[in-house]
Amino acid sequence: MEADIAKMKEQKSPSAINILLRELFRDKLALVSLIFLILITAFVFGISIFLDKNEIVSVDLFAINTPPSDQFILGTDYGGRDVFGQLIIGTRNSLAIGILVTLISGVFGIAYGVISGYFGGQIDNVLMRVIDFFMVLPFLMIIIVFVSMTRDYSVVTFSLIMAAFSWMGIARLIRSKALQEKELDYAQASKTLGTSNFNIIFKQVLPNITSLIIVTMTLNLAANIGLESGLSFLGFGFPEDTPSLGTLLSYATNPQTLEFRWWIWAPAAILILLLMLAVRNVGEALRRAADARQRRG
Amino acid sequence: MRKATISKALFIMMLMMFLVLAACSSGSDDADDSSSDEGNGESEDTGSDSEDTDGKVYDIADFSPIKEGEPMDGGNLNFGLVADSVFAGTLNYNFYSDAYDSEIIDWFDEGLLSVDDTFNYTQDGAATWEVNDEGNEFTFTIRDEVNWHDGEPVTAEDWEFAIEVLADPDYDGPRYGDVTSIVGAEEYHDGEADSIEGLEVIDDKTLKMTFKHATPSLLSGGIWGYALPKHIFEDIPVADMSSSDEVRVNPIGMGPFKVESITPGESVTFSKNEDYWKGEPNLDTVTLKVIAPETVTQALETGEVDMVDSFPTDQYPDVEESLTNVEFLGTLDRSYSYVGFKMGTWDKENGKVAMDLENSKVGDVELRRAMWYALDNNAVGERFYNGLRWNATTLMPSFYENYHDDSIETPTYDPDKANQILDDAGYEDVDGDGFRENPDGEELVLNYASMEGGDTAEPLTNYYIQSWEQIGIKVEKTDGRLLEFNDFYDRIGQQGNDDPDIDIYSAAWSVGTDVDPTGLWGPNVIYNFTRWEDEENTRLLEEGVSEEAMDLEYREDVYKEWQEYMVDQVPVFPTVYRAKLAPVNERVVNWDIRDEATELERYEVGVTQDEPVVAE
Repeated sequence: MEADIAKMKEQKSPSAINILLRELFRDKLALVSLIFLILITAFVFGISIFLDKNEIVSVDLFAINTPPSDQFILGTDYGGRDVFGQLIIGTRNSLAIGILVTLISGVFGIAYGVISGYFGGQIDNVLMRVIDFFMVLPFLMIIIVFVSMTRDYSVVTFSLIMAAFSWMGIARLIRSKALQEKELDYAQASKTLGTSNFNIIFKQVLPNITSLIIVTMTLNLAANIGLESGLSFLGFGFPEDTPSLGTLLSYATNPQTLEFRWWIWAPAAILILLLMLAVRNVGEALRRAADARQRRG
Repeated sequence: MRKATISKALFIMMLMMFLVLAACSSGSDDADDSSSDEGNGESEDTGSDSEDTDGKVYDIADFSPIKEGEPMDGGNLNFGLVADSVFAGTLNYNFYSDAYDSEIIDWFDEGLLSVDDTFNYTQDGAATWEVNDEGNEFTFTIRDEVNWHDGEPVTAEDWEFAIEVLADPDYDGPRYGDVTSIVGAEEYHDGEADSIEGLEVIDDKTLKMTFKHATPSLLSGGIWGYALPKHIFEDIPVADMSSSDEVRVNPIGMGPFKVESITPGESVTFSKNEDYWKGEPNLDTVTLKVIAPETVTQALETGEVDMVDSFPTDQYPDVEESLTNVEFLGTLDRSYSYVGFKMGTWDKENGKVAMDLENSKVGDVELRRAMWYALDNNAVGERFYNGLRWNATTLMPSFYENYHDDSIETPTYDPDKANQILDDAGYEDVDGDGFRENPDGEELVLNYASMEGGDTAEPLTNYYIQSWEQIGIKVEKTDGRLLEFNDFYDRIGQQGNDDPDIDIYSAAWSVGTDVDPTGLWGPNVIYNFTRWEDEENTRLLEEGVSEEAMDLEYREDVYKEWQEYMVDQVPVFPTVYRAKLAPVNERVVNWDIRDEATELERYEVGVTQDEPVVAE
């Protein structure tokens, strides 16, 4: 009898989180990427506490465009500003925006999608048409317009603007999943037993689609970092005294900087590449974990 | 005599265009790096070390504005028009509004009046003139040999016709303001008269113009000198003229080259006008094409273009040595950068400035003067622009040889003096936050509008803010960033909707051929962005264009006094004067980049060999 119970315990299927973690550890590339991400994040957020931002972005007329040296590990830009310091603050800003946008758009998109999928019918119909409307908007153009219109401009407003136009994808995905889930027995049973819709949505349906949420948000993170860099590169992101990876990269639009002063833009370019690849690797591993057919472990 | 009259409208438009082109960044030569083998302990000194090694400083006096030589017969010249976008293609002096278009029109058309190096009209142009004693009645005689490209002679009627078109109520171009000084033009515009009273065609080649007032400005670009071929435009309604094929597809002129073909927005081919009245041009053909600023260097290097209209000076230090096939010509630019203080708003109803010193944070002249002392513009010029810009002194750049007054003492970088002025004026740091409060003890934060455009815009803006911080003045960027060019001008008031939050701004101004500065400082002009009004200033401005000012010496004195007064009152202060550079392929000869050029004319330009010289 006791042996039977023990056996049953052993056979209990592993939790979603466990599967995700196991898949991550199986995939060496993803593991290395994850460690790299954690280190970089910890480093830039940690060290930027001690860095004086105003000091770094202050213009020094007598150190314009110095190549890398002992004093300036990665040289200076055309304002005589230390590129290494800008790189650290820039990475922090880019990451912060990426994470913030992903969280805001994620939370809103998930709530929207779950509600739409769970209730279905007319509500679903209306909500989906709203999404269709947002999806046909040329969102990059609209973001640019909003960015130029905003007068009080900060990390938060920038993130809000970006998030306002990037929640649709995740909302649709979650909605389709919620549509499936609510037809399953456990949801139907709960409903019959009189559990409130709120409880069913947030305590039963949502936990069952956690893995999907984690995977989508991870992949979105990479996309959002890219979007921020792209906007800053085009000149619609942050001003230069709020460095981000994109602003550093945009120095390369000057042909002379591109040709003669690699130290200004190359580190940022490499860092963007590495960051995106790392997030992507982790995301892919998570995605495989969420799909039993592709799992390696 | 290349460009005869340059009108005031062009002057305003040049301000706009010029701001787009105001790109400039310094670049230091990256080859040398002496600081790399020094220890960290010496990092304090490294700044001054690099001063010796990396900052090449040029002097505009070392550049020649002119390239002369013995050309061969014929040949083709490739001219690059440096532009980010396509040109509009309104190819007629009477209708264009875009500086790129004017660059194209210069090749195939010209004004009837020519100017000397002080921009006063001379008797060497296609038309000669006589003036009555009062100085308000001009009689012009067009030379007999001056013909349109189609062989028809240029007549007094063509000239009258051009002015009638500009004054027509249906006219949709920006030049009406250039002819309002003629008697009866405004009545004609308002429909009260059938003809312009002040114009009288005496015979085929003679035109008499009567102006409302005699002012020295008339002689320096104040007369509309561009004829419009009546035999071609006669039947086109005025409202349709600027969009007609005669302006856009087959434009016609009287200049040294004829338009052969136009690829809209991209390129124009010209062939020589053998019948040109000054003589047959040297070149057979000229090909003009639009070149993006990013690719100028490559295009010059490979000989794709022989020369360009303007070269981004910030690229110069980097390419100076690699462009072995090109000679750089240089001269003074007609423009200066300045920092302005907002002291009021625009009264739209009455069309005048509404100054309000009481409520302006920068209403105190001592504060303004201290802020001038705080900026090290010589360092800015040397470091950011490698000496191709330099500390500006008065509001009349040295470009106006007669009027610019060197002897005026203007504030230069002296932070101690700035602090002293502020201390004396009662600006003290009351609450100990490191920034001064105003004399009433209230917090003083100035809102600074600065415009994007060009590479150094951002570091330069931050440098100014830092410099003001050094003397304890807290300055913040409007919206926390640089403003987009159109947004910037809207908010400092080009439509009269001044943003009340803006206290200071920096912009640039391209001065006209006429020295009269009323267009920027008069009490009734919308471009007086500072909204500063002052009796003495108005008096001096009026004096400068009065009848007595027909006497050059008198006028010089008036404007010297004005310059001094402006230095004293500091409604704005100029920051840097600028140089302009134009690269020219080795094979090109007889080219002069000065606007006031009188020695070499466009028909004399030539090449010494068939193929462009290519960089080694």
